[in-house]
Amino acid sequence: MKFSKLLATGTLSLAALFSTVQAAETVKVGVLHSLSGTMAISETSLRDVLIFAFDEINANGGVMGKMIEPVVVDGASNWPLFAEKAKQLLEQDEVAVTFGCWTSVSRKSVLPVYEKNNGLLFYPVQYEGEEESQNVFYTAEAVNQQATPAVDYLIEQGYTKFYLLGTDYVYPQTTNLVLLEYLLSKGVPIENIGGGFRRDESGKVISAGKYTGFGHTDYQQIISEIKQFSAGGDTAVISTLNGDTNVPFFKEYAAAGLSAETCPVVSFSISEDEFRGLPADQLVGQLGCWTYFQSIESDANEEFVANFKSWLAGSSLTGIVKEGRVTCSPMVLSYNGVYLWKAAVEKAGTFDVDAVREALKSGLSFDGPGGTVTTQPNMHLTKNVFIGETKANGQFEILEEFENVYGEPWLKGKFK
Amino acid sequence: MLAAKDTQKQEILGTLVGQGDPVIRDLFDAWKRDELFVYKPEGDEAVPVQIAGGRDAFETAQAFRVSDESLLVGEDGGAIEPTRDNMDRVRHNNRLRRAMKEILDLIDLSSPTASTRLQAVQTLGFSRDLTKLPVLQALLEVEENTGVHQAIRQAIALVQLNQDDRDVRLAAVKELGDIHSLSSTDALGAVLKNATELKDAEMIVASNEALVEIERHRSVVDFVGTIFRGLSLGSILLVVALGLAITFGLMGVINMAHGEMIAVGAYTTYLMQNIFGAGIIVPAFGLSIGIPGMNLEGWAYELYFVAAIPASFLMAALVGIALERGIIQFLYRRPLESLLATWGVSLVLQQVFKLMFGANNVQVSSPAYLSGNWTVADIVFGWNRVFVIGFAILIVLGVWLALNKTSLGLLIRAVMQNRGMAGFMGVRTTRVNMLTFGLGSGLAGLAGAFLSQIGNVGPSLGQAYIVDSFMVVVVGGVGNIAGTVISAFGIGGIDQILQQYLPAWAPSLGWVPFIGSFLQNLAQDSSVFGKILVLALIILFLQWRPAGIFATRGRSLED
Repeated sequence: MKFSKLLATGTLSLAALFSTVQAAETVKVGVLHSLSGTMAISETSLRDVLIFAFDEINANGGVMGKMIEPVVVDGASNWPLFAEKAKQLLEQDEVAVTFGCWTSVSRKSVLPVYEKNNGLLFYPVQYEGEEESQNVFYTAEAVNQQATPAVDYLIEQGYTKFYLLGTDYVYPQTTNLVLLEYLLSKGVPIENIGGGFRRDESGKVISAGKYTGFGHTDYQQIISEIKQFSAGGDTAVISTLNGDTNVPFFKEYAAAGLSAETCPVVSFSISEDEFRGLPADQLVGQLGCWTYFQSIESDANEEFVANFKSWLAGSSLTGIVKEGRVTCSPMVLSYNGVYLWKAAVEKAGTFDVDAVREALKSGLSFDGPGGTVTTQPNMHLTKNVFIGETKANGQFEILEEFENVYGEPWLKGKFK
Repeated sequence: MLAAKDTQKQEILGTLVGQGDPVIRDLFDAWKRDELFVYKPEGDEAVPVQIAGGRDAFETAQAFRVSDESLLVGEDGGAIEPTRDNMDRVRHNNRLRRAMKEILDLIDLSSPTASTRLQAVQTLGFSRDLTKLPVLQALLEVEENTGVHQAIRQAIALVQLNQDDRDVRLAAVKELGDIHSLSSTDALGAVLKNATELKDAEMIVASNEALVEIERHRSVVDFVGTIFRGLSLGSILLVVALGLAITFGLMGVINMAHGEMIAVGAYTTYLMQNIFGAGIIVPAFGLSIGIPGMNLEGWAYELYFVAAIPASFLMAALVGIALERGIIQFLYRRPLESLLATWGVSLVLQQVFKLMFGANNVQVSSPAYLSGNWTVADIVFGWNRVFVIGFAILIVLGVWLALNKTSLGLLIRAVMQNRGMAGFMGVRTTRVNMLTFGLGSGLAGLAGAFLSQIGNVGPSLGQAYIVDSFMVVVVGGVGNIAGTVISAFGIGGIDQILQQYLPAWAPSLGWVPFIGSFLQNLAQDSSVFGKILVLALIILFLQWRPAGIFATRGRSLED
């Protein structure tokens, strides 16, 4: 024990010595996001906030005296290309860590590459869980940090019927299955859960809720179903609809005479950033659930937003949008990830992935814009969860806060 | 009250229940908008104030006392400037908002607008609070609007289901059945379950009858609703495909840029909205073009959509004419090359949209006259949907008149049937080609103006509709407008019928050997499976009639 402590301090001081000698030395860090293609709208914002965080750290002396040198690659919304780019980052550029991926399918695509090369990836976007790789650190919201607190809130508000609706891919499907189990465990009878079920031959539910394809435009039928389902009052819609499809959905929803007062919609895929392309005035009063909102009234957050905006104004990155920018949960979780990695490296005293991982697992904390976040042994984050109500200006009014929610990826079959 | 603690606030709110003072509404509205603050000078009593615009407007706004609306002044008589330090926002949480809503609902019961009363009555009914019964019964006497009257009856019956007296409950169950109350199925289900447990035969029969009655009503609602939705989807397909019926159907150009013509119309609508509003700056080809706005408000602003309809037609027609002059006129005898060329144009146009308006979708708001609905016996007729049906009828009529009753129409038909011969007869075929392509593109632009009211406006808007457009035109029979009309309504109707009834039919698909259970599961996702079935039906149909519903002999077949 004493020896190892001695060794640790020894390495630390050695590293410190090393860094003072070669102050100009840099450490390569990968940024793997789609800067073109369909996902570019969302993912470019994450690239921006990552570069902002690197600049901030470099201005304050870097990581263990080394300047961060970002290696930005474009996944181009093309999942196999993500794996190619990840390979390039790890084998050619030999980056110490990567921040990246948005869609679950891109994460699944790069996962084998990181496991084979023993790399480290920080993943920042709400996801469906059922995964725990030793080579990925999930700063993302797990299902119990977004979907289940939202349901708790709705139940507490007196809602008794729930309509599940989503876009047809892995995240909504898995989330809704977990939600089905959760609702049943909360005593909601199965006939009060709308959207339909699909069962396998033994009668086990394999899919819950209503699904539409990417880019679906005709929501008449689904809205009329929701209208009838909600006729008895106390009904909420739980939506995992993605980006674009929300516009025709909400336009139809409003035209059918539904409103946030009669049948609110809680959406898991709409953050402040997505609002830039949605008719916010038609979504007033609808609910959102994230681990950060730009409207949080704290000094840390106000400072973060102000710093980010002034950085944007002076930035000359290619393709950067400067007008009408907002901050949102995936951005802040990316930002937190950078600082957590820095803390882990400083604790471990080395950039070595195995040592950094051990440091991350030991429970590091960082006071981020959304409050304090703490790393967990299962490579997830403990963080605060907020329920918010949308306002006409595209921001959220915070209604409720759940403090220090433990990130739990394995939820299927947990609620009985 | 505003300076009190949260729990005290709630108690005070409790005492306000039943007071109909309109001041309360204004106050609550301001509270919900975060415009109420408490000014607390040291040692002095706290003063609740209202600041229009809330915290964001601190630098410009002034604080007014809530009590008498006078300006908040300091000891020296000057206005006190609100800052973050001297003002505390009066916060509100969900419990308080709920308490506020309860008070407001009671105020709303005497509102002059029927829809507000309706909403308030429904909320009261769902709360099933016995203490509200006298209020509702008193209202029943004075209410004149039939819709609200019915809602009050329903609310009373729903509340009475909670009463101890069994006879009253029984009467309430019958009443709910009589008025076909769709919203009470859950409540009646609970009554039925309860009665079954108590073995109350009379109650079981009564609630069963009521449920059957409501179910019958529901199937009528579903049926009429499905027909209406089929019509509206058919109209959208028709509006979208009509332009293509001219450029592809009549002229024989495989026009892959048709979708982008729709997008041109949608973006024109967006521009008109901004011109009627605050103006817009469009970066185009390195220049920033500032378009000043008229800064209209209210109904005048909402008229933007009326102006956008001809504007989007003209804009898309102009782009179409430029496209015809620039590229397509050289490719009339080479359909495959025109396919590739127009596809290229469509990619270029998408990129132009991105450069000018950004990769994000832009927001087009729906004017009030297009975002409401009529509800007749629980069937919802959305105004936007009614509008598109009327709109489709009008433009089909317009196109028919233009092609058959005008001299230009005669020339168009002549050139489309045989360009060489028409040319020999002295028709300026190049000019007619140009105008025809312009007409087809203009119609696509009209479709874009309308689509902006029901969906996204973004660079890839056109991509979402191009396949549907070709499908409608091919099924209808290339070169035939009447065929396009029939096929649009046919496809729309079948799609909606499948979506509505597939889940109900799904269990009966089990007989299919090997893939029975697979089909059952697939059919549950009716929106996806419905689309697949429609496509399969179309393929089968085209096997039977390769030339579509109406086969016409046109130039495209003879060249």
